[in-house]
Amino acid sequence: MKQDVVIRTVCRLVVPFIQLFALYVIIHGASSAGGGFQGGVIFASAFILVGIAFGIADARKRISEKMTVLFSACGLGIYAGIGILCIIFGGNFLGYSFLPLPFPVPEIRGLAAEAVEIGIGITVMAVMTSIFYDMAVDEEAA
Amino acid sequence: MIDLFTATGLVLICTLFLCLYRVIVGPGACNRLIAANTIGTKIILLLVLVGYIYGRNLFLDIALAYAMINFLATLAIAKYLEKGCIC
Repeated sequence: MKQDVVIRTVCRLVVPFIQLFALYVIIHGASSAGGGFQGGVIFASAFILVGIAFGIADARKRISEKMTVLFSACGLGIYAGIGILCIIFGGNFLGYSFLPLPFPVPEIRGLAAEAVEIGIGITVMAVMTSIFYDMAVDEEAA
Repeated sequence: MIDLFTATGLVLICTLFLCLYRVIVGPGACNRLIAANTIGTKIILLLVLVGYIYGRNLFLDIALAYAMINFLATLAIAKYLEKGCIC
């Protein structure tokens, strides 16, 4: 499929829109359909599309396996960090209203929930991409 | 009384079962692949219709996500049929 012009061009056109839509799903998740997990899966599907259309080697050049490990640890760190910050400031785990930010309480809740969703999205994106890499490598060896 | 959009949805569901028949008994993998792709397109239309009938914008987001993932799935299956792997 290396020489297929139609598929390569369509993928190059579609991938930015998929990524933009994934970011929309992550950010808008609190007030409508979606959330961190769904947005992360859609974002990972953009990388999978690159891997299918241009070959796994090209996808690895854009996000390597080391980067997927780093990204998944980063997202988990954001999630757990915000939760433990809430414990440090005297609330429960992920008890957002105890965070000392200069806003009224509902806005603090919204901001912290969005930050947690972003962490979940990064983790899910990295893990889905790494699962795709592992499965593709196994098919190649067999 | 059935209005225009409900009738369109019902006709779409009927034609969807025709495609499902082709997926189940269709000779060869290519017929099945194209029939499954058509089912995906019909599902997108059905989602938009349901969103219009019930007046909820939320279904448009789901239809967009479904369209993108449907394209990816068709491409993956086609590549698997051609090369035997998705690498």
